[in-house]
Amino acid sequence: MTDATFWANRRVVVTGGASFLGRYIVRKLRERGCQDVFVPRAAEYDLREKDAIIRMYRDARPDIVIHAAARMGGIGANLARPGDFFYDNAIMGIQLVEQARQFGVGKFVYVGTVCSYPKAPPVPFKEDDLWNGYPEETNAAYGIAERMPIAQLQAYRKQYGFNGICLLPVNMYGPGDNFDPTTSHVIPALIRKISEAKEQGLRSITVWGTGAASREFLFGGYGRRNCACQ
Amino acid sequence: MTNPNAQPDSAFWVTRRVVVTGGAGFLGRYVVKKLAERGCQNVFVPLAEEYDLREKDAIVRMYEDAQPDIVIHLAAIVGGIGANRENPGSFFYDNAIMGIQLIEQARLHGVEKFVCIGTVCAYPKYTPVPFREEDLWNGYPEETNAPYGLAKKMLLVQLQAYREQYGFDGIYLLPVNMYGPGDNFDPETSHVIPALIRRMSEAKEKGLESITVWGTGFASREFFYVEDAAEGILLATEHYEIPEPVNLGSGAETRIKDLVELIAELVGYEGEMEWDTSKPDGQPRRMLDTTRAKEEFGFEAKIGLRQGLERTINWYEQQIGEPDD
Repeated sequence: MTDATFWANRRVVVTGGASFLGRYIVRKLRERGCQDVFVPRAAEYDLREKDAIIRMYRDARPDIVIHAAARMGGIGANLARPGDFFYDNAIMGIQLVEQARQFGVGKFVYVGTVCSYPKAPPVPFKEDDLWNGYPEETNAAYGIAERMPIAQLQAYRKQYGFNGICLLPVNMYGPGDNFDPTTSHVIPALIRKISEAKEQGLRSITVWGTGAASREFLFGGYGRRNCACQ
Repeated sequence: MTNPNAQPDSAFWVTRRVVVTGGAGFLGRYVVKKLAERGCQNVFVPLAEEYDLREKDAIVRMYEDAQPDIVIHLAAIVGGIGANRENPGSFFYDNAIMGIQLIEQARLHGVEKFVCIGTVCAYPKYTPVPFREEDLWNGYPEETNAPYGLAKKMLLVQLQAYREQYGFDGIYLLPVNMYGPGDNFDPETSHVIPALIRRMSEAKEKGLESITVWGTGFASREFFYVEDAAEGILLATEHYEIPEPVNLGSGAETRIKDLVELIAELVGYEGEMEWDTSKPDGQPRRMLDTTRAKEEFGFEAKIGLRQGLERTINWYEQQIGEPDD
């Protein structure tokens, strides 16, 4: 059941609120009657910096933080810059959680990533398997960095009674997705390719692989953003 | 390239400036002493009062003050089981934020090599014995130490990612539990060896006829003499440049029962041992596979348990003003 009264008097920060998933979260918050949604923009708040996080929390005074921001790229970028992706995501997550605790935030909702799962867990992936192996190599640095707030929030709940929860959305698609042919994921890539083929009257198009592999697709209203790892 | 015959390399240290975080701690003092023995002229130990290494500004200031070529990151914020259980959040945060920023700022400051000392607590709770480095990611650590273990383990991933992206030379070592002169003998927080030495020494002095020891005595552990650990760290710093983590240990497994009997013999306690089997043994076995350290940089522990215990007991008896008889 949706609970509009839950939101009426709560101030909410949505990090990554201008991203693919974030825009859906913000829209849904407004539909739920939330009066106070604050989306920190990268230009104004560099969330890798503790001082910027403190200023952001002071400006927004949130009751709830939904941390949906992530710095990530496609497979190419992940391979080229694993150090940046590790550092940026780890430092941002760890300090957002710590400062949220210090500011007395009532609830911290961490939106993690399916990239944190081990490379080959049994299908379907169960949350209990999250720690049972190393992630797929091309996004391991990102996936491990994104596991850290999970460990942190569990420890904070034990020590401080801090209310933090962690969600792991699978790959998403939907209106507003990235259709850039060099970095897009499978659904927008196929839509664009087939749409262009139709327009150009092509008789055939080439698709990679055997087609026998399977994936799960989540409509963009519910997860974070596409993940490069699948 | 493996190097099982690597030797201590004094020339390596002569012109290099070295920061040792945690250099005033138990292991740190041995590392600093060995660095001086190797001929290192410039060892900088940041003290907590002066540099709070959880703060980026303090790290930047520390690196500017010390201008290190090499950083050996030994500092850890840890407690005994009780403290770990009560403060999992702060142990996670303090160790994670300190390590991540020390590494990032080392890269930005052009540090030539970063040597990160991890912890055996990072291994999964159910790791096949002997623990191999390949098993490091195959499960969640033992719960009481998990936040600390995970915070330290993520630094391995950071160093691996930095090597790939920036060619930054970071290595990661996993020493098993250490003992030796200078260890913590506080009965509230001490580990098994200093705790047993103290109790038996006190029992002997008071002429007690028996003491009680927890568990069955059949669990086994690996005990690593602290000076050997320091030597392993320096050898790795000199000779190892590969992203894969390396265990450091004595390579010997000892049953608790045998440990207790050996300490009794060396202390000269002649009373009985009563095993309280209602108390837990903990993990049945814990020992590292130390093959990689031998193959990659020629490290093997030199001080056996008997010799290490003798030195430790001597030191303890001097501390309490009771010369060895």
